[in-house]
Amino acid sequence: MRVSRQARAIRQLLLPAARALPWRAPAAGAGLGLLILAVARIVDSDPAPWLAAVLLRCAILADAVGLAFLMDDPARHTTATVPTRRALRTAVRLALITPVTALWWTAALLLVPSQARPPAGALTLEAAAACVLALAAGAAAVRLTDALAPGPSVAAAFLFTAVVAPLLLPDRWALFVAPGDARWEAAHQRWAGVLVGAVLLWGMCLPEPVRRRPGALRVRSPSGTSDPSRTW
Amino acid sequence: MIPTVSASGLSLRYGRAQALDDVSLRLGQGVTGLLGPNGAGKTTLLRVLATAVPADRGAFAVLGHDPATPAGRQELRRRLGYLPQTPGFHPDFTAFEFVDYVAILKELTDRAARHREVRRVLDEVDLADVRGKRIKKLSGGMRQRVALAAALVGDPGFLVLDEPTVGLDPEQRMRFRELIAQAGEGRTVLLSTHQTEDVAMLCHRVLVMAGGRIRFDGTPAELTARAAGRVWISTERDPAAKAGWRTGTGTFRNVGSPPDGADLLEPTLEDGYLLTLDGAGAEVAA
Repeated sequence: MRVSRQARAIRQLLLPAARALPWRAPAAGAGLGLLILAVARIVDSDPAPWLAAVLLRCAILADAVGLAFLMDDPARHTTATVPTRRALRTAVRLALITPVTALWWTAALLLVPSQARPPAGALTLEAAAACVLALAAGAAAVRLTDALAPGPSVAAAFLFTAVVAPLLLPDRWALFVAPGDARWEAAHQRWAGVLVGAVLLWGMCLPEPVRRRPGALRVRSPSGTSDPSRTW
Repeated sequence: MIPTVSASGLSLRYGRAQALDDVSLRLGQGVTGLLGPNGAGKTTLLRVLATAVPADRGAFAVLGHDPATPAGRQELRRRLGYLPQTPGFHPDFTAFEFVDYVAILKELTDRAARHREVRRVLDEVDLADVRGKRIKKLSGGMRQRVALAAALVGDPGFLVLDEPTVGLDPEQRMRFRELIAQAGEGRTVLLSTHQTEDVAMLCHRVLVMAGGRIRFDGTPAELTARAAGRVWISTERDPAAKAGWRTGTGTFRNVGSPPDGADLLEPTLEDGYLLTLDGAGAEVAA
């Protein structure tokens, strides 16, 4: 009975949840990604495979940065103690954004000329890892702070990390390798690891309650002494 | 009294700060006021009782439901209304849409019945005329009433209100008092506030917190009585007074230990509150 009640709640939640989602930032990120690919195609209709991979990765980064805003919820304090579980509410958000992101990724791949397109499966893995990582970072920020809209901070940190990581990662951990590179396979095994890690991080932000562990991030709210890292 | 809420030994620490220190209480129907200075632990206590944060130690139950288990917590939340200190909204929603959204999250899944309930609570908080207006176009007082409607939807048995009258003008505060008094009929309301007048006018019982502990638990009259014989006027500020200020008539109103022959005044709830805090401070310091 409880399951059916929650299933009905989820069905009825879809429309208001879709309206509550902060669509602008993800739409801007996705739009920017497509724009990068479209402009590149106009400028050079036959890019080298390495350039096509770089352009697709730029598009992925733009989309992922937009997705970092997806967990922003100005009503989170007002709805903090409702019986519909956090995991279900997050699942609704995910269910709404996933088809749109899949369509966007298909369009992004199609914008790259077929002769220059890197292996779609491998790039899709990169896209999935980056997007899930951005969403997980957003979910973690919501869980560990009292902020209603941590999206800008998360997006900035994500962008910074994405730019700096290729420069700092040692060669044996390289993630951003060109198609045809001997490290391609190994790099994508690492991307699979990133994806699994991001899913685990996200999963850790879902259960209720979260108990603080020694050394966990503690953030004071502006008023009083409440510690939002201890949210149910 | 059949308690709606019974808590024992609630403790919670944030780093070095003891936000709650062995708090035990029992609440029954009616409006109970929770007074205390900033950092006293009021919001933390409310958040614990509203299941927004877990306590380190201690236990509590609301309407017989123990939040220590997921099932108990969910049952408790089905009977809970919570108005946080800083309620947030989706500004593009209308008042009706937002309360309806919260009602769905409260698992009111029968659409027709839910819409009736949303209309009922919006009527109750006097927002029927603006229910189709976007929240971003509403005044601060109206938004606060939308948040109260969201807390009231589903007819909760336990209502937790964290400083609901902050930032409201006097007229809006009066209106809010009416609403809270109505809400307290037939349910248990725990109202955290800095406004001693609100407590004096609304509450049948008052708790005073300081340093994470409950320093006073009684009726507003009993709290006021703590200051009986300890408020006096003088032409100069009395250095022995715990607090004293110049009034509009030019005399000084002093609270503390009056000198012999002092011109005593009728105390207010605020006087009793100040003296209770002063005693709590001495106790903490000791």
